[in-house]
Amino acid sequence: MSATLQTTLPDTISGLLGLEGILGDVVGGLVGAFIIANIMLITTAIAGPWAKRKITAAFGDRIAVNRIGPFGLLVIIPDAVRLMSKELIVPEGVDRPAWDLAPMVIPFSALLGFAVIPMGSGIQLADPETGLAFAFAAASIASLGLVMSGYASNNKFSLIGALRAVAANIAYEIPLVITAASVVIFTGSLRMSEIVAVQAEPLLTIAGVSIPTWFAFVNPFAFVLFIIANLAEVGRNPFDIPEAPTEIVAGYQTEYSSIYFVLIYLGEFIHIFLGGAIAATLFLGGPAGPFLPGFVWFVIKIWAFFLFTQWARSAVPRLRVDQFLEVGWKGMLVLSFANLVLTAIIVGVIA
Amino acid sequence: MSLEEQQPDAEIEAGKTRGDELAELLGDLVIGREEHLNAPGLVIRPDQVQDALFKLRDEAGFDHLSCVTAEEYEDRYESIYHLTKYDDRTDEVSVVVPTSKDDPVSQTAEPVFRTADWHEREAYDLVGIKYEGHPDLRRILLPETWQGHPLGLDYDQDRPQIATLREHANPLEQDHSGEEGNTMYINIGPHHPATHGVLHVETVVDGEQVVDLEPDIGYLHRCEEQMCQQGTYRHQIMPYPDRWDYISAGLLNEWAYARTAEDLADIEVPEYAQIIRTMSAELCRIASHMIALGTFALDVYGDFTAIFMYAMRDREIVQNILEDLTGQRMMFNYFRLGGVVWDLPEPREEFFEKIRDFLDDLPTALEEYHDMITSNEILQARTVGTGVLPPEVAKSYGATGPVARGSGIDYDLRRDDSYGYYDELDWDVVVEDGCDNFSRLLVRMREVEESAKIIQQCVDLLEDWPEDERNIQANVPRTLKPEEDTEIYRAVEGAKGELGIYIRADGTDKPGRFKIRSPCFSNLQTLPEMSEGEYIPDMIASLGSLDIVLGEVDR
Repeated sequence: MSATLQTTLPDTISGLLGLEGILGDVVGGLVGAFIIANIMLITTAIAGPWAKRKITAAFGDRIAVNRIGPFGLLVIIPDAVRLMSKELIVPEGVDRPAWDLAPMVIPFSALLGFAVIPMGSGIQLADPETGLAFAFAAASIASLGLVMSGYASNNKFSLIGALRAVAANIAYEIPLVITAASVVIFTGSLRMSEIVAVQAEPLLTIAGVSIPTWFAFVNPFAFVLFIIANLAEVGRNPFDIPEAPTEIVAGYQTEYSSIYFVLIYLGEFIHIFLGGAIAATLFLGGPAGPFLPGFVWFVIKIWAFFLFTQWARSAVPRLRVDQFLEVGWKGMLVLSFANLVLTAIIVGVIA
Repeated sequence: MSLEEQQPDAEIEAGKTRGDELAELLGDLVIGREEHLNAPGLVIRPDQVQDALFKLRDEAGFDHLSCVTAEEYEDRYESIYHLTKYDDRTDEVSVVVPTSKDDPVSQTAEPVFRTADWHEREAYDLVGIKYEGHPDLRRILLPETWQGHPLGLDYDQDRPQIATLREHANPLEQDHSGEEGNTMYINIGPHHPATHGVLHVETVVDGEQVVDLEPDIGYLHRCEEQMCQQGTYRHQIMPYPDRWDYISAGLLNEWAYARTAEDLADIEVPEYAQIIRTMSAELCRIASHMIALGTFALDVYGDFTAIFMYAMRDREIVQNILEDLTGQRMMFNYFRLGGVVWDLPEPREEFFEKIRDFLDDLPTALEEYHDMITSNEILQARTVGTGVLPPEVAKSYGATGPVARGSGIDYDLRRDDSYGYYDELDWDVVVEDGCDNFSRLLVRMREVEESAKIIQQCVDLLEDWPEDERNIQANVPRTLKPEEDTEIYRAVEGAKGELGIYIRADGTDKPGRFKIRSPCFSNLQTLPEMSEGEYIPDMIASLGSLDIVLGEVDR
């Protein structure tokens, strides 16, 4: 098994620097984490102030930002300055430590998840045996941040938003994890690199082109389930219940302004990308793909998921909160268990 | 102006017989008679209002309390209940209730017509008449702390007013908490993404379900009635209607004033001008319904989505056409008493071509909307069966326009009390009987098609109109001074429903009393009926489906 393991990014770095032992681990780990965090922050910086506007505008027949830089790309800089230079308004009666911590918990929980994601071209921070479980666990910490922000804000809309966020996470995390478990039945391992490696084998060959065993091809049903549950998990239409701007203003983030707002927003975007990254790793062969380097394929895949969320946001109506939970508990949960049991039986029979 | 004498005579004669009939029906309840240009007036004692209204409603079939007008005179206060029928709009009666000067107390009509609730609150707020037995006689447009009644005769405009925030304290009442779990009071609005303007909805929720709800209006009150009372009939009033329902329904509103004042001063509008009016008004209706559609989608879908932008895009085409015609995008000021201000823009062919292009593309656009909205299963799950407004309830609240037609009430002033050129054209009144949010959405979308049909026919007519007969304005005297104490209440089908205006002439060139009956005002009253017991999202959707414009609600 260990033969198939790729060298992780910290090892590469410490190797390059010629450091060994604990010092090598620490320096390599820190530098590696710094690189990966920055990759994600840059991705988010492009996605938030620019790509999101452009994509939504394209769906709505508009033009959007086009004044600064090529395709308006440099709007990111003035936008960042604008957002960070705004006044941080602290409402009366907020529960101070919790209110301040929440905007940090949300983005960092998502960033933490990226620690185990194989991004291709040797970019992977850590590859523990429990990689997949770690990714889900890290992503779920965000719920804590949402509850903190909603409860500490001393605002009723925030409170409703937080309650909705918790309800949504409970209802959709179970189908999400159960569906992921059906992939684990195939791979027999939670290790991310292992899951990617299994998918590299050819499924069948048509006219000389071999199609890999991506689980999206092997079990498309599970893939669809996973993508839907993932939409709910990252809180995008038709499941953007926790925010629901036209109903509860902005949900848990109603009272946040300035840099705290940026952090929460950042967290949401990183979450979308994390959702895309987990989906890509589990179902789309991770960073695999022809011709281009693995990392490029990885970026393409997570951006494809981002595009998908933005498409849904522009075109799909939001469900009502009770309908949303009904879909989660009565639909997704049943289907995901059915999928798990069927996969187990089929894999058992074949094996 | 030689025509001046003929029409009122005929109207009064027809009205007299009807007035006699109704007076006979009410018997001793009637203590006097009046004649309004639109209807016979029956004078009723202030303590017998309910008896009279019950009789008129149940025995004579007057099921629509269109408006309540209050006014203070030198010697008395007066409330006028403008009654009519959903089945026969031209059958009208005014119930006039005078009250004494020193103790202006009159019996409430609220048990007979639910809509009287808000209308009487407005009368109390602005004029100062108290309604005995009214369930909740508070100010409605002005803050609770306001001193004096602005439309009263002894009102001191220079008196400083201090409005504190105290009255907006948490009005969560004892009966909402306690036995059935905990409830929470939330203010939805006046600054909320989905209230379509400055509407404040005081909401009590149990979890996410609405237990109690009360719209609090008045944030956009601009004294429109009083401003109109200070303008001369001929020119100074016409700019104001554009500012009531300001979401591109301007010409429809202008028509309400034009129709009322023309009937009051007995002005005959040339046919050619009527066709231009009809065409441009229907263009306004399309623009207005597009906005309604877009914002409703916004409420149900979430963020600024494709549908909202598409609706705005299509509305923009209409706005451009209207800009070509009137020189303005929103505040048209295009109608004049006796016609319109100028003829169609030259070159006419180009203008017609532009309209035709729009009409040709419209079916494709509507199909796109139907693909994206009405046939979307999630949208159906969200809107079908939510925000239910049964027809009897709608009637009791005086709901009109697409809200009434979405509840299966076949009522459209363009047909039922025809004006302009509508009765010469071939079109249908759209009615849906689902009574829910989805029906109201459908009604608006189908009405756009009907409006397109009307515009098409108008364009055909205008194109072939002989050049030397293009008479855009009747000969109207420079100063209009309708006879003292002539009273008239006239309505047109605005974008949101029945937009009525009551004018009492006082012998000068300005109205003595100018009262606006806003369709949104009455329609908004139905919101608690539709939303109580439903989820917050459905309340928001219902609010969107009512398509209110706060400028018209608050005036």
